[in-house]
Amino acid sequence: MALLPQNLSFSRRILPIIALVGLAFAVFFIWRGLPDRSLSEPDQEPARATGALANSSRVAGAGLVEPSSEIIDIGTALSGLVTDLRVQPGDYVTKGQPLFTVDDRAARARIGETNAAIGEARAAIAEAQTAQRTAEAQLALYRSVEDSAAVSRSEVIKAEGDASSARSRLQLARARLAAAQAALSSARTELGRLTIRAPITGEILAVNIRPGEFVSTMGGNSQPFIRMGETRPLYIRIDIDESEAPRIKLGAPALVSPRGAADRQVNAEFVRAEPLVVPKTSLTNSASERVDVRVLQVLYQLPADAEGAEQLFRVGQQVDAFIPAVDGENNGGGKTQETAE
Amino acid sequence: MLWIAIRMLTGDRQKFYGLLFGIAFSTLLITQQLTIFVNLLERGASGVYNVSSADVWVMDPVSRTSDVAYAMPSTALDQVRGVAGVEWAVPHIRGQASVRTKDGDLEGVAIIGVDDATLIGLPKGMIEGSTDVLSQPDSVIIDDVGAARMFPGASPMGERLELNDQRAVVRGIADAIPSFTSTVVLYTKYSQALRYVPGTRNRLSFVLVGAADGISAKELTERIEKQTGLKAETRDEFAQGGVNFIIENTGIPLNFGITVLLGFIVGVAIVGLTFSLFIRDNIKQFGALKAIGVTNGKIAQMVAIQAGMVGMIGYGLGVLGTVGFISAFSNNPTFKGFYIPWQIPLISFAAMVLIITLTGWVALRGVMKTEPAAVFR
Amino acid sequence: MSGQNTTTAIRTRGVTRDFSAGQNTITVLHGIDLEVQSGELTYLVGESGSGKTTLISIMCGILWPTQGEVEVFGTDIYALSDTELVNFRLQNIGFIFQQYNLIPSIDAASNAAVPLIAQGMDRKHARERGVAMLEKLNIADQADKLPNQLSGGQQQRVAIARALVHEPRLVVCDEPTAALDAKSGRRVMDLLREVGVAEDRSVIIVTHDNRIFDLADRILVLEDGRITHDGTDMPEDH
Repeated sequence: MALLPQNLSFSRRILPIIALVGLAFAVFFIWRGLPDRSLSEPDQEPARATGALANSSRVAGAGLVEPSSEIIDIGTALSGLVTDLRVQPGDYVTKGQPLFTVDDRAARARIGETNAAIGEARAAIAEAQTAQRTAEAQLALYRSVEDSAAVSRSEVIKAEGDASSARSRLQLARARLAAAQAALSSARTELGRLTIRAPITGEILAVNIRPGEFVSTMGGNSQPFIRMGETRPLYIRIDIDESEAPRIKLGAPALVSPRGAADRQVNAEFVRAEPLVVPKTSLTNSASERVDVRVLQVLYQLPADAEGAEQLFRVGQQVDAFIPAVDGENNGGGKTQETAE
Repeated sequence: MLWIAIRMLTGDRQKFYGLLFGIAFSTLLITQQLTIFVNLLERGASGVYNVSSADVWVMDPVSRTSDVAYAMPSTALDQVRGVAGVEWAVPHIRGQASVRTKDGDLEGVAIIGVDDATLIGLPKGMIEGSTDVLSQPDSVIIDDVGAARMFPGASPMGERLELNDQRAVVRGIADAIPSFTSTVVLYTKYSQALRYVPGTRNRLSFVLVGAADGISAKELTERIEKQTGLKAETRDEFAQGGVNFIIENTGIPLNFGITVLLGFIVGVAIVGLTFSLFIRDNIKQFGALKAIGVTNGKIAQMVAIQAGMVGMIGYGLGVLGTVGFISAFSNNPTFKGFYIPWQIPLISFAAMVLIITLTGWVALRGVMKTEPAAVFR
Repeated sequence: MSGQNTTTAIRTRGVTRDFSAGQNTITVLHGIDLEVQSGELTYLVGESGSGKTTLISIMCGILWPTQGEVEVFGTDIYALSDTELVNFRLQNIGFIFQQYNLIPSIDAASNAAVPLIAQGMDRKHARERGVAMLEKLNIADQADKLPNQLSGGQQQRVAIARALVHEPRLVVCDEPTAALDAKSGRRVMDLLREVGVAEDRSVIIVTHDNRIFDLADRILVLEDGRITHDGTDMPEDH
């Protein structure tokens, strides 16, 4: 082996360099290969309690948006075909405004009929009155003749009978008029019942009928014909697990955000807690589901002036809510919140 | 003198390469086996680490790992949300289902249902498609290893599956670390998962929780446990729980422990024998140097630099070999996500130092005990 | 050939050395008193087992005597500390081993320069001195070769160069001619006298090679741990 210094020795020079470079490469590789286990922030904002509630005791619940009147399923008093639909979903209607009409031709025909009957009755009355007048004039003539021989007794009796009969006919004719008038009124009422009107002022939420469809008083159709409710303001019905219910601070405003827009939170005013604790509405939609969780329903009112609330909250939407808890049960968080406010 | 020492070391190539081989081989054996061991164990935690944004996992008190979980009533989510310090909490469902593949085979899959609104619970990265596809009806996202297993050689995109009599369409591939059993994983929305997993009354497997600023995850778990009576674990605790479950329920630790021990013993044997042979061969030279007037301290330095050099090179090559091994197999689904924890090269380094010091010390003792007068015999 | 200003190179007084062999103690040297002058080529002759190796080891400071003292150029070497003794050897004594004990993985010049390197001289400079020394010994052309590429005689010359390169005042030489034929042996002895023995330097040669007895300035015969002869010639019975 030549030992000139410029001669590279594999064992003494190259191998250590290979080892060092290899080590450096290994360090790099290991460093690069370390798994990224850092915690990351969620891409989409999850529902979270903010502000004073963020770090104090609270109760959380999920709920649904509903009209303050609750949802009214409009029905019909009379069966028949829908002839005219006056509203569409989203319309804001005032109380008494027609919503739709059911086929009224039969009712209208009856009105015509009764009108004719009224005319007929009126004619009968006139005829009876004429007859009565004639009979009474005849009778008066006979009565004014003093000579009893001039008028036979039987003629007088006949005239008296005519007069009486004419009175009776007049009464009958009057009674027929009254009957016809009553029938008219009845037909008019029926006509009115064929126009379905808004029971309250509110918003049309859903329309499930089209003109030409048959609406029945028996229902039959599984869907309500028209759903409406007062959406000014909107209410939120929040389900609180019964085990959490004692902790809830009734009367305090709730922090509410719709699903999917958890960063847009609004403060909702307390309305009332329902006196009845009900089984939790199932989320799985499975008929076989057994439910052993009961929930207290608490109502909150969404502020009407909340920015974008119109677009943010819609009836039937699911929301996440945070409600302050009563103090002292868990930690001092609630108390500090009290003093802070 | 150190120059002479290095010359002495590399002078006999056979012994030098024998030494290098011994050290590199045992480094490779220890590092590689420990790496595989640790990675296999961490498969037990992959379900936890795949969820990148949850600080705390809340579960039924009897649940043990991300795959061995007992479901809770759905109101548990609201209970957890009610705990102070919980910034957010989302539902998470993990269930088993059987899926009928196109060939008619039955394959057991894991269904993971993530929060509908935020999709928290999905793996961080996607290989194909985007997480938005879950908003389409009947969408599922399959994990990459599962995709390779279930649809070998074909893209799973658009494939239809039948799950619990429901239709599911694969619309994305997630970049996830497979679980210990390498079960195919289908990610979908929570509401969808409820339909895919054959139902029992309670479905909610976990509640994933993000801690508010200013509260540690550990503190939060205590608070949640106290207030709700559920079991809460931080991400690391829960990951560790998954690892412990594998340790307790499989023979892996014992088997790999034995291999690592064998690697160590083989390493000590090869290195020790070669090194002491090398020193013994050179003992005459060392004796001559001692007679000429080289102090024992200098001799020790010479042996030390010989041991250090051969150790450094051998260790470097061994670690390089491990790195090469891991990177060569990184595309194999079995080794997906395998990495070398930085502690392991340090452990094998310590083992190497120990082996070298031990054998070097034994060899040195021979040199030290050599009487310089022996050179006259 | 002793010069006018001869000084005492080595003086031993009552040097005794015991070796323990199991339970028994074997006394190898029995109170050796002798002086070696500088500028002399001194032979230490004896049968194997006579204790000559032990004596030479003690004289050059690599084996502790059980009793007695050794002065090398006026220094009581066994009164020195270990490190001082090692350093003393490094500065003052050159060794030529029977097996040469060259380092196989470095070239001849570097082998010759080992004492200088051990003294702390930088490698390049030391090697130059080693080459210069090899030149004196007429094998400078082999300076770049490894020991196993050299013949036995060349290796011995390298060993001699190593012993002399740092200009020691005492050179110890163990059986230099044992492996050589008579002619080569004499040439080596000539060489040793030529480059080794200087005015202020003493060369001690351990040997039992009777072919070269006539080349000594002084012959010491050791038998059973005692000096039995001290003179310029060998006694008749050897």
